[in-house]
Amino acid sequence: MTTALLRVSVGSALVAVLLQRPEAVAQGAGQTRRFDRGLLRPDGSAVNDPHPEFYFTRAAYTGYWGRNWAIDYPKADRQFMMGVRRLLTHLDASPDEHPVRLDDPDLNRFPFLYAVEVGRMSLTEPEVLGLRRYLQAGGFLVVDDFWGTREWANFEDEIRQVLPGCTIIDLPRDHPVFSAFYDIREFYQVPNVGNAMAGRTWEKDGFTPFYRGIQDDKGRLIVAINANTDLGDAWEWAEVPEYPLKYSTFAYQMGVNLIIYSMSH
Amino acid sequence: MAPWIESVFEFLFKYRPFLFQKGRFVMAPPWLAVIVLVVGAAAVVISYQRAKGGTGPATRLTLAVLRTAALALVLFCLCRPALVLSTVVPQQSFLGVLVDDSQSMRIADDGETRGQVAARSFGPQAPLLKALADRYKLRLFRFSETAERLPSTTDLTFDGSRTSLTQALERASQELSSVPLAGLVLVTDGADNADADVGHLLPRLRARAVPVFTVGLGRERFAKDVELTRVDVPASVLKGTSVTAEVRVAQRGLGGQKVQLQVEDAGRVLQTQEITLPADGESAAARVHLTASEAGPRTFRFKIAPQPGEPIAQNNQQDVPIEVADRREKILYFEGEPRFELKFIRRAVAEDKNLQVVCLQRTSQNKFLRLDVDDADELAGGFPKTREELFKYRGIILGSVEAGFFTADQLRMIAEFVSQRGGGLLTLGGRHSFAEGGYAPTPLAEVLPVVFEEGRDAKQPFFAELKVEPTPFGMTHGVTQLAATEEKSAERWKTLPPLSTLNPIRRTKPGAVSLLLGRGDGLPGAQVVLAYQRYGAGKALAFTVDDSWLWQMHADMPLEDMTHENLWRQLLRWLVSGVPGPVTVSVSSPRTAPGSPVTILATVTDATHLKVNDAQVVARVKDPAGVERDVPLEWTVGKDGEYAGRFTPPDKGAYAVRVEAARAGQTLGSETAQVQAVDLAMEYFGAEMRRPLLERIAEETGGRFYTPQTVPALAEDVKYGGGGATVQETRPLWDMPALYLAIIALVSAEWAYRKARGLA
Repeated sequence: MTTALLRVSVGSALVAVLLQRPEAVAQGAGQTRRFDRGLLRPDGSAVNDPHPEFYFTRAAYTGYWGRNWAIDYPKADRQFMMGVRRLLTHLDASPDEHPVRLDDPDLNRFPFLYAVEVGRMSLTEPEVLGLRRYLQAGGFLVVDDFWGTREWANFEDEIRQVLPGCTIIDLPRDHPVFSAFYDIREFYQVPNVGNAMAGRTWEKDGFTPFYRGIQDDKGRLIVAINANTDLGDAWEWAEVPEYPLKYSTFAYQMGVNLIIYSMSH
Repeated sequence: MAPWIESVFEFLFKYRPFLFQKGRFVMAPPWLAVIVLVVGAAAVVISYQRAKGGTGPATRLTLAVLRTAALALVLFCLCRPALVLSTVVPQQSFLGVLVDDSQSMRIADDGETRGQVAARSFGPQAPLLKALADRYKLRLFRFSETAERLPSTTDLTFDGSRTSLTQALERASQELSSVPLAGLVLVTDGADNADADVGHLLPRLRARAVPVFTVGLGRERFAKDVELTRVDVPASVLKGTSVTAEVRVAQRGLGGQKVQLQVEDAGRVLQTQEITLPADGESAAARVHLTASEAGPRTFRFKIAPQPGEPIAQNNQQDVPIEVADRREKILYFEGEPRFELKFIRRAVAEDKNLQVVCLQRTSQNKFLRLDVDDADELAGGFPKTREELFKYRGIILGSVEAGFFTADQLRMIAEFVSQRGGGLLTLGGRHSFAEGGYAPTPLAEVLPVVFEEGRDAKQPFFAELKVEPTPFGMTHGVTQLAATEEKSAERWKTLPPLSTLNPIRRTKPGAVSLLLGRGDGLPGAQVVLAYQRYGAGKALAFTVDDSWLWQMHADMPLEDMTHENLWRQLLRWLVSGVPGPVTVSVSSPRTAPGSPVTILATVTDATHLKVNDAQVVARVKDPAGVERDVPLEWTVGKDGEYAGRFTPPDKGAYAVRVEAARAGQTLGSETAQVQAVDLAMEYFGAEMRRPLLERIAEETGGRFYTPQTVPALAEDVKYGGGGATVQETRPLWDMPALYLAIIALVSAEWAYRKARGLA
């Protein structure tokens, strides 16, 4: 009886979490994002810098399972920004997670956007319009962590609603994004933490990683697509000794390059 | 003096006022007369004191004064007053008659042209000319820009394109310097539009006793006239730049009316603007915003349609040459940290073919990202360390980078980039800019147009959200124009979303101007957002916000809105406007009459923009037929780096001038200019009769000013001018009717007053 009650409670809680909609995103959805947070200087003392130049903004979108957008959140975000702040010493960056809804007009104040598990995106009309306006005005979107043919098809469907008629290209190895900060010569398929421990890098039928992109009509990259790969997990589990260093290194390099590229092109 | 007043004067005082001006008053020593007057006055006073009658002392005093005054006048007559005049001896002196032969003499003020009016008095059959010829040996001259002998006034053509009274008087007086010269008669409307100042010549003429008699033709004031007095545009601009033309308009008789000013380029209308005409005697200023979209040597025609009743329409139009360059100006943008501002500035001007923004972005310690460089070597060592490397650029943008990044020499170099090289420097707001970046004790603090706030705690970061608005100056400046008209632009500014700043800046330096201000909640006073000053040969701008990219990204900005792009294009084009290359060229007259010499001036510098005096400089002049010839330019010696040469365009048309400079076989640079040889319509500007000038010439030389109505007196007046071979003539004054009338009046008044007071 007690075990059954426990299962039901846990199961209910899990369902409640999974069904949670992006309206429940914390930290002031719809308000200005320049909120006070205690930041740390390299010597560990607190700095009150309420107006950083860069936020690692995570897209909160409507998905099939409710909180698809929050996979790896917030650890991946915080862990990634810790590394970024150490590597890009002159970037004025917030160390905190920063989710924003796609239909929030305030999204346009943050020209760098990250979205995860986009194979399970199911955007509402306001979200489509919001993301379209964002990208056409000059915003930059990085999508990550979606695997296999079905999830690719879903993403392509969704992104073509946002940018009708867009062309998705394979990014050539000499694309400026791959030399914006680090010169990236070797490309990996970055596995999630479980598969990495099991010695496997692929999921579903996503055997080959795709590093693709969408350019605007002037040839500028506006959407960076990391498919059949999981940069987010590599950031999230970088401190775990069992997680192979080369994947974390590659994931940080890609992330840093994407930030630098998005802030200069 | 009005003719009727002169007549009355002559009746009363026997001679005309001019003779009194020219003559010298003399009279016999008055000692005896004074003694008689004193005795007589005493007798008058005593007799009135003794007179019977009940009158007071005031009345008696008045009567005594009247009688004494009458006595004084009689005694004055007895002292033999006279006027001594120098009179020209007939047929022994020469007289120069200079007739204006310029185009302004074709103007018909009241149905008759000025030339026709001149012919009436100075034509071969005119009585005045005959009277003058009877007494003097006449020498006729025609003059416009220069002067020459004239056989007869029937040979006048009235097609001179400029008028120089100085040249005319100098030439005539030189030619007649060896003969006794009674004077010079200057027949003109006085519309002098040459560069020489006649004031230097007048004392010399007076010293030589050469009076100038000026005859003024034409109206002093037109009944109705619109004149486009002045148009100022930059001599050269980049193709596609919005140019602001400053226009001045004057008028007569049409005050308060609205007219249309139209600007054309090769027949294509660039802009039309309504101007309200000012009051009589004032001139109105207007700003017209145009875009120079065709490259090469252009001519912008500014014109106002002739208004009904205007005697001349030629002064309603001005053709202004402008060189529209189609080159790519290089700007170095150094950003000290990754910022979105860099991304969006690059995007804003990416399509501008005349701007190349080379970006150097510091991404991490000692790591830089280079964008839009010409080759792999450009900026390979980071921020330029030599003047040669830095001075290749025409403009510098400094983003959020602390002063401590630069060496002391680099900071000095940036200051000299502005002051000596003449470049443009733009500093952006950011957490490491201005005082927050430690620039207060550096040379750049002097260069920048803003004052750093003192007494701030540097550890306390500043932040303010600002609503940006243009200042009154900013409303009219081309850079901050967001729409086709100033009114629409002002409305557009009100709708822009607020920006933010991390640098408290409230004051500009003396001499600097603000174009944009920002106001925010809790801010004491306005923040200076965009300010500018000239510094040395260049210009320095400060743009104190750090996120203008919000005017592109903000949800309230429509996607098709081009405010952000236009603002940055205009700002960066302004930054590099007027920045010299290694060779700069100017011509003395971009528009000139065929046959008038033109001076070509070039300034030549080396790669570090130091002026060089040993360059080989040549101007290749291509005439309208396409034939090219070389004009060597020589160092002027008086000024470092300055070379000069002259050429004279023989025929009408456009002449392309290309100046090339080299030193020790190495090319330093080249620059182009244009000269247009055209029929200038200068004669129709300021074409009203300049009475004050002509009166001044006459007065300072001992002559006299006449109008066509008073000119018959000229023949007589020249006799007394004092020039030429003269004799002394004494004219008595004791029999002036004024004296008799005064004596009679005094005596009558004394008798009448006495009667009235009962003393008679």
